[in-house]
Amino acid sequence: MLASSAMTDLNTDVIQGTLDMLILKTLSLEPMHGFGIARRVEQISRGVFKMNPGSLLTALQRLERAGWLDAEWRQTENSRRAKFYTLTRTGKKQLESETSDWTRRASAIARLLKAEG
Amino acid sequence: MSLWRQLTYGLRSLAHRTKRDRDVADEVEQYFEEAAAAWMARGLSVEEARRVARLEAGNMTVVKERVNSYGWENAARSFVGDLRFAARQLLKHPVFTATTTLTLALGIGANTAIFTVVQSILLAPLPYQNADRLAVLDTHWTNSGHTTPRVTGPDAVDVRDQARSMEAVSLYAGGDLGVQLRDHSVYTELIFVDANFGRVFSLQPIAGRLFTDADAHHAALVSEQFARDNFGSTQAALGQMLHVENEPLEITGVLPSTFDFPAKTQVWEASPLRPESESRTAFNYRAVGRLRPGVSFRSAQTELDGISRRLETAYPDANRNKRILALPLQQALTGDARPTLLLLWATVGLILLIACVNVTHLQLVRSMERRREIAIRKALGSSRWQVMQPVILEILLVSLIGGMAGVLLAFPAVRVLVAMAPRELPRADEIHLNGWVLAFTLGLAVLTALVSSMLPALRAAKVDPAEALKHDASRGMSRHGAVRFRDGLVIAEVAATFVLAMGAGLLLHTMMTLRSRDMGYRTRQLLVVDADAPAHSEQDAHRAVQQFNEVFAQLAAVPGVEHVGGIMGLPTGNYGSNGYYKTRGGLPVDLGHEASSIFNVASPGYFQAMGIPIKRGRDFSAQDTYESPFVAVISKSLAKQSFGNDDPVGKQIQCGLDSDKWMTVVGVVGDVRQESPAEQPGPALYMPMTQHPFYANQIHIVLRTGVKPLSLMNAVQEKIAEINPLIALRFTTMGAMVNKSIAAERFRAALISSFAGVGLLLAMLGVYGTVAYSVAQRTFEIGIRMAFGAEKSVILRTVLEHAAKLACCGIAAGLMLSLILARLVRGMLVGVRPMDPLSLGAAALLLLLTALAAAFAPGWKATHVDPRVALRAE
Repeated sequence: MLASSAMTDLNTDVIQGTLDMLILKTLSLEPMHGFGIARRVEQISRGVFKMNPGSLLTALQRLERAGWLDAEWRQTENSRRAKFYTLTRTGKKQLESETSDWTRRASAIARLLKAEG
Repeated sequence: MSLWRQLTYGLRSLAHRTKRDRDVADEVEQYFEEAAAAWMARGLSVEEARRVARLEAGNMTVVKERVNSYGWENAARSFVGDLRFAARQLLKHPVFTATTTLTLALGIGANTAIFTVVQSILLAPLPYQNADRLAVLDTHWTNSGHTTPRVTGPDAVDVRDQARSMEAVSLYAGGDLGVQLRDHSVYTELIFVDANFGRVFSLQPIAGRLFTDADAHHAALVSEQFARDNFGSTQAALGQMLHVENEPLEITGVLPSTFDFPAKTQVWEASPLRPESESRTAFNYRAVGRLRPGVSFRSAQTELDGISRRLETAYPDANRNKRILALPLQQALTGDARPTLLLLWATVGLILLIACVNVTHLQLVRSMERRREIAIRKALGSSRWQVMQPVILEILLVSLIGGMAGVLLAFPAVRVLVAMAPRELPRADEIHLNGWVLAFTLGLAVLTALVSSMLPALRAAKVDPAEALKHDASRGMSRHGAVRFRDGLVIAEVAATFVLAMGAGLLLHTMMTLRSRDMGYRTRQLLVVDADAPAHSEQDAHRAVQQFNEVFAQLAAVPGVEHVGGIMGLPTGNYGSNGYYKTRGGLPVDLGHEASSIFNVASPGYFQAMGIPIKRGRDFSAQDTYESPFVAVISKSLAKQSFGNDDPVGKQIQCGLDSDKWMTVVGVVGDVRQESPAEQPGPALYMPMTQHPFYANQIHIVLRTGVKPLSLMNAVQEKIAEINPLIALRFTTMGAMVNKSIAAERFRAALISSFAGVGLLLAMLGVYGTVAYSVAQRTFEIGIRMAFGAEKSVILRTVLEHAAKLACCGIAAGLMLSLILARLVRGMLVGVRPMDPLSLGAAALLLLLTALAAAFAPGWKATHVDPRVALRAE
């Protein structure tokens, strides 16, 4: 494959299956709108993860219907109408279980990689 | 919680589609604006910021669409869209739609109606507590294979005392009886039950209490209905007195109307736990029991077999070869109705199959017309499923509408069915449409849709675009395979209809045979009075007979009455007795094959009133009294059975009805069919009422009248009331009784015939459809033929010949099917063979005529094809 761009561009896709967790985690700090979440994830991950608005906004709909988020239309600081998402109590529980699950698996992978190395 | 959200959010977004669209658009736009704003904050110009944002986040419209398409409601919406398309297509073809809907409504409606009956009677559990543990006891003889639903008192008591698998066993007896209230008497379903009855059924009276063994012969329970009718309310009935057979009974409790066992019982009289009959050969009782929890019928039977064996050893004479059976109550109640119901079910199944074939066929014809459309869609890249989907959806839609129409049809159909049903149909009051039936119908509609759309859909999927576009069906060049296939469907339909028509023919022929049969007596102009005079002691019984004799004399004087007689054991009546008898001077009898006969107790003049001929000797007379020598009259069959060609008059005969006295035969009378016209005439033994008073207080009085029998009702009632107002009375006619005795046969014949009619209608539609289609397709060919001078009659003949050929093939196939299926109805036929030539010929002719009639309209149209128009068409 000659696609040199693939070599230079770093992969910024969110790791599969972690999108929900990242959204829930971000919202556990404060209610936010869609772009707010994307920006926060990008900043905190120092640009490692970039969110695609299609995936993000669809995921937000899904999480809302699952009962983990509540949504509300509010004004932003530059007085633009925006949909703000808040973590619900069940959402908080879901975040906890996903976080512990992730930690368990990530440390297992880390151990495996070390052993191989 | 989340499922609820899924549902409500989805529904909300379906209901407010534009609002959701706007919200999503707003949210996406806001996202892009913020993204651009963020870039501007880093120092890019407005233009550049927007460009970078787009570069990073992608096309805004694509994002909107993606976010918008989330949710189950979108899938639902596209399905609804497809359904709407199918509905529009159906509306565009009203004839196709109407025909298929009607076809399916008939098919599904008939099935829903019959399933309602089957479900309510055979499948639904009995409306009693622990209904699955309720059992009846039968007596079975292992040597003869005979089974009776009765038991002897001592046998049942042994089972009750010894069987550990039975929690409770209750004995009961009785039936139609006169009950005397304070100022009048009524005919009532009354049974004598012991105190265990309440335990077996876990009965809870709605007022008062159940009786105990100490209450025997002093207490009774009555039904809610009886309490209301006779005392005004359930509370008012408590403590009231009834008289049954001159015994005073106090009403201790009222049972709810939901309890109906044995069927239609109004009064349950307390009888002692220790049965009065101590004979092990008198089957005077019926028994119900309840199994212990967790005990199966199989293990209960194993225990009963052990008890039966022990009894056989203990009483080798009376209990030889006797085995006591425990059967589920539900099976015992509904067993007789089972074959009829299953036959009906099979019949409506066949109708549904015919309906399916019809729909398949109609849809095939339609998809032939659509070949070009399908070919184009395939050429443009539609997948197999996309081509099949409209076909399936159309039929699904039609099936659902047809199913709904079917349910609407089923409501009145069920009502008619219950009204027509013979009295013996068990649980008739419980028949109603319910959730199970609706689920069944829905399932049936979907199944019908799948079955009948399978072939057309597969055919649509197989269309080869190149081939189909080249091919032009309207020029009379349809592919041979397709034609043969459609013809095959019509043949199958005719064959199935033939089977139905044949079945209907057989049952109708049976009915005709039964109606025209000689009963051995004249059924017309005969008033029948059921009369029950209360009697308890021997004195009572003698007085009752005296009163009846007075009644006969008085009634003979009523204007319009020609002859009067009385009998216990009237043909098709409720009462009767039978058993073994012995003769002196008769033919020798094999051991173990004693001669048996029905036993009747009659008054002088009975034979004359009935029109039963006296062949030899004399009738009973007033001189035959309790004190004089005992006499008997026998039927011709009995004379032949026991005396061969000898003159039986003057010979001696003895039976175990109530006394061991030898009776002298004084006369021989003609044979009668005792139970119904379906029965063969058999031996009958008649004894005078005066000499057997214990069997003469519950009789039928028969009056041969010169006027309309029922017009004498009031006069007769007055006369009898003058003599004894406590005699309970009920009126009917002999004609009505005979009619009732063949109610089951009539019910079957009527239902199967109507179903055959429906089948015929469907077959007609099928033939019409196929012939009309082939004529339409051959318009071009017919035009050419006519242009070359073909006669109109020749054209018509070819069309009719085509239909006749299909019908004949169908009839031949149906004949073979009938050969196989005929044995299923053999048991329901009387005097008619399963391959009855009359029914066969009638069915064949009917189908042939139907096919020709169906083909005539399109044939006529073919003769009016204008060659100029036909050749120019396209």
